[in-house]
Amino acid sequence: MISSKKCTGCHMCELACSAFHGGGFQPSRARLYADVNPTTATIKGRTCLQTGCAKCQEACPNDAIVARRTTVAPKGLFANGDKIGDSIDGYVLMVDEDKCTNCGECYDVCSTNVIHEHPDREIAFKCDLCDGDPQCIVFCQNKYVLAVDLKVDKADRALAEA
Amino acid sequence: MDFYKGTLLRIDLTHAVATPEPLNMDWAEKYVGGKGLLLRYLWEEVPPNVDPWAPENPLVVMTGPFAGTNVATAARVLVGCKSPITGILNDSYSGGSFAPEMKFAGYDAFIITGQSKEPVVVTIRDDVVTFVPATGKYSGMKTSEIEAALRADFDANAKVLSIGPGGEREIPWACISTDQYHKAGRGGHGALMGRKGLKAIAVRGTGMVTVGDAKAFLADMYRMQGENVLIPENLAQNEEGTPVLAQIMSDAGIIPTRNWSTGTFEDIENINSDSFLKIRTRNRACTQCAVACRQFHEAGGVAGEGPEYETIALCGANCGMGDIEALMKFNHACDELGLDTISSGSVVALAMDLTEKGVEDFGLHFGEAEAYLQAPGLIAKREGIGAKLALGARALAAKYGRPELAMEVKNLELPGYDARGAFGMSLAYATSDRGGCHMRAWTVGDEIITGVLPPDSLAGKAAHVIDNQDCQAMKFTGIWCDFWAAGFDQMALLVSRLWKREVAEEELRTVGERVWNLGRLFNLREGVEADTVPPKFYAEEYAHTEGPAAGKAIGAGALHDAIEEYYTLRGWDAQGVPTEAKLAELGIDVRL
Repeated sequence: MISSKKCTGCHMCELACSAFHGGGFQPSRARLYADVNPTTATIKGRTCLQTGCAKCQEACPNDAIVARRTTVAPKGLFANGDKIGDSIDGYVLMVDEDKCTNCGECYDVCSTNVIHEHPDREIAFKCDLCDGDPQCIVFCQNKYVLAVDLKVDKADRALAEA
Repeated sequence: MDFYKGTLLRIDLTHAVATPEPLNMDWAEKYVGGKGLLLRYLWEEVPPNVDPWAPENPLVVMTGPFAGTNVATAARVLVGCKSPITGILNDSYSGGSFAPEMKFAGYDAFIITGQSKEPVVVTIRDDVVTFVPATGKYSGMKTSEIEAALRADFDANAKVLSIGPGGEREIPWACISTDQYHKAGRGGHGALMGRKGLKAIAVRGTGMVTVGDAKAFLADMYRMQGENVLIPENLAQNEEGTPVLAQIMSDAGIIPTRNWSTGTFEDIENINSDSFLKIRTRNRACTQCAVACRQFHEAGGVAGEGPEYETIALCGANCGMGDIEALMKFNHACDELGLDTISSGSVVALAMDLTEKGVEDFGLHFGEAEAYLQAPGLIAKREGIGAKLALGARALAAKYGRPELAMEVKNLELPGYDARGAFGMSLAYATSDRGGCHMRAWTVGDEIITGVLPPDSLAGKAAHVIDNQDCQAMKFTGIWCDFWAAGFDQMALLVSRLWKREVAEEELRTVGERVWNLGRLFNLREGVEADTVPPKFYAEEYAHTEGPAAGKAIGAGALHDAIEEYYTLRGWDAQGVPTEAKLAELGIDVRL
């Protein structure tokens, strides 16, 4: 989740996500987005809610979206030396690249519009929580506060559960 | 190609044609990007002695090489031209998200030439460029309106450079806006854009900026953020921001008050940082910056980012305006109309002074809000008193036989530091490469804030000003923001990544000096005025009679000597022309 109150619209999460996964900075191909209205400073963040939503998994006719247990353990420290967060156990929804046929059903139903066709390959791509060290969280350095936070939202209950 | 895209887009408004061409990488190597590359292109593209209002005078939009990566603060965009106000170079920088978007679309720069027959908006989505008629649709729109319209009509994620009604009416100090509140403020780029019939440029970029090993670079920049950027001296901008200067400058006796008649504003408590903290709602950031220095405020039915210190000084204290709501509204009006606040505040304060001295009745009075709040709108429409105010400070004061009341250098109105209380600023203003500007050398830092230099002497200030200017010139090539107090060592670290080899600080000092000298050559070519400041700063008769700077005058002789010393230290002749030896030493590839 991206907190619309804390988010400053710096797009570091999109930049880090796209560079980490795609080898270069390309926020249009990130796996999360912070949509900014500069006039009103209204910021709407869009992240994958994993099993807290799972519409992509429901819509997939080929069982190509699978839930995997994961532990998210953000590394690193804030500028003031505090730990970024504690580790959380939960589930991440992964695209099974052997089964995905790029049928596009998931693109249509995603509640936050964060699953898309891969630019270079005919399969879907989405947030995979970066093997437990989400780069969006690492690079969200809004002073001492995180705008991208895994624990905050009620809808994200899958990750909040053990 | 890493960092750079290696491509600029030449936008010919006369023929409604846009052509990509290779970026000159020899120049990129010598001048890096940002200010350096801008000046080299201006040298090439501006016909010598061209009338700045003519179609042949280009408008250049330039990125820094680190825009579109996660290098902190380096997303700023640069708009440059031969200024219609000063007739010399003007490089104006703006925050926001435009420069990264240009890079994602595939461009390091735009060169905008010619003049459109009818007003247009140019939209750019990667390699697709369209010229969209603006009349009856976009013309006349205020900043918020044009941005919203282009996000609706062209792309929800479009980044926009626009002019407001002020630019469309070619008010000389009209500015360019982006992300609503960010401005390429000084020098009249908005007026030039208005003359060219260009209402706005909207860009959407879906491409990639590469840096080599992306994961390693990410980690590297993360470390640099923690060690060098997110430290107290930079984070002060997040916590209080530039409004913190209001109280400091007033206490030091150098905030311009009532058209520079004194240096301390008795109502400063109403418009100082504490007062703004009370009405602050949130912070906003430019792309790729974690400092998030943009302060969002709400008061009197108006909400928005700013005002920054310069606006508090020139539109607040300088107009005798200690009413925070009125100041917010004036700032908001200038935002929406696309008018630079420093020049707007200066001209309104001058008109107040002329009114109160009985020279000409503009109906404007220091501290009186009603007419003050009408002024930006009247100026933008050239209506009523606006028709005369639109002349600018120098011409307006001259028209009424009171030239000494206009506080400007080379026809660019002065920012918020009275040199009578910080003598070094007289040298900074006099030798600035774009006229009355504090962003090239800011002696206030050491004369007032740290106090390591005496404010009432010019001794040794020439060397200090030169050092500031060269460091800023280098900083403006990478377009690192001023709010990252990065020194040559940190810039060298980053340029090492750019040039893929070890870069020494000394090499970057040379780049800075090279860029500064190239700017001086351009200005000399275009007939720059003599380097000086208004008599109010140096003549005994205008010394302050109260406050910390009371009784202090720089003296014409001392100023002249300091400027001579400056020329000598710079390796320029007595007329301020860079010598052949200096140009050869710096490897500058052009000559007068």
